[in-house]
Amino acid sequence: MNCFVPYRSVFWTFFRIGLFTLGGGLVMVSVMRHELVFKRRWIEEEDFLAEMSMATLVPGVIAVNVAFLQGRRMRGWRGALIAVLGTVLPSVCVILMVVWVALPFFAHPGVAAFLRGCALAVAGQLAFTSYLFARKYLMSLANVALCAVSFLMIVLLKLHPIWAVITAAGIGYFCAQLSAANDDSSESTLN
Amino acid sequence: MPILIKLFLSFALIGVGAYGGGLVIIPLIQHELVNSQGWLTFNEMTQLISVAQMTPGPIAINAATFAGVRIAGLPGALVATTAVVLPSILMLSLLAPLMERISTNTHVRQLRVGVQIGVVSLIIFATWSYGSGIVGGWLDFAVSALAFTGLVLTEGRVHPVLFILACGFLGLWLF
Repeated sequence: MNCFVPYRSVFWTFFRIGLFTLGGGLVMVSVMRHELVFKRRWIEEEDFLAEMSMATLVPGVIAVNVAFLQGRRMRGWRGALIAVLGTVLPSVCVILMVVWVALPFFAHPGVAAFLRGCALAVAGQLAFTSYLFARKYLMSLANVALCAVSFLMIVLLKLHPIWAVITAAGIGYFCAQLSAANDDSSESTLN
Repeated sequence: MPILIKLFLSFALIGVGAYGGGLVIIPLIQHELVNSQGWLTFNEMTQLISVAQMTPGPIAINAATFAGVRIAGLPGALVATTAVVLPSILMLSLLAPLMERISTNTHVRQLRVGVQIGVVSLIIFATWSYGSGIVGGWLDFAVSALAFTGLVLTEGRVHPVLFILACGFLGLWLF
């Protein structure tokens, strides 16, 4: 399916997705899949899923990563940049409007109370995400121990939070290396 | 150092650390902008996160634009937003041609397991550091607990933004 997609269509497709999708990056990716794969048939489902897993391999904003890879598939490097621009621009415009139009009202007692309620809900949402992630990733004792070590790194040593990820990746890599090496040797003796 | 360069570096670091979903940027934003640089108060940051959640688009982009414009006006917004996406775009540009091989490489897969567990500890840390900052009494705790309970009971069948809006109206009535 190497149909020709004009730059204009690339831009406006991603712009519309960026403008009308509430709820963050992962929701945007599922809308992109719907638009690009099923509705417009610009991209094969298989390719989209492969590129989605690449996009999660690299840190950063997942929706932007997916847009970059799909834009590149459709129209090369220039297409990639146009897709990224289309994804980011609506957010930037909406937020600038909010800041310039609504910010003066944030100090108003009613608006402040509303925002305080929202901020408290975000705390609940963080707790919920912890619960979901813990249920998914912390099902073995080794994983819980690794999580605890990386957590204590940033709490006790007061390091930059990014060190939680670096510590866990480092320790996890070397421990998994050891067990993988054992597996290999047991396999070779069996054979 | 000029403020725009500092802003660029802070948000590039936030972009590098944002691994695995929008909420992971909350602890990074809190550390960089509130605790380390003092550009925003904790209260301003909670407003920023709430607005970023309720407006369309990726949360990290919304938060970068919002914080950038608060700290250094329009140039700040453009610099912060560019900085938050630039590291991952550079990485993808370099790695995309090799990606087929990288994503099936066993070393990369092992590294990834560790990264995911690190992200879990980061989110637990964020729940604690953000939660202890915003929750100031039993009434606050009840609102947060209500949102948590609602999310657990519906398990993703109801859009999270609806819970945030509902708690906003609850706040309007309570506070």
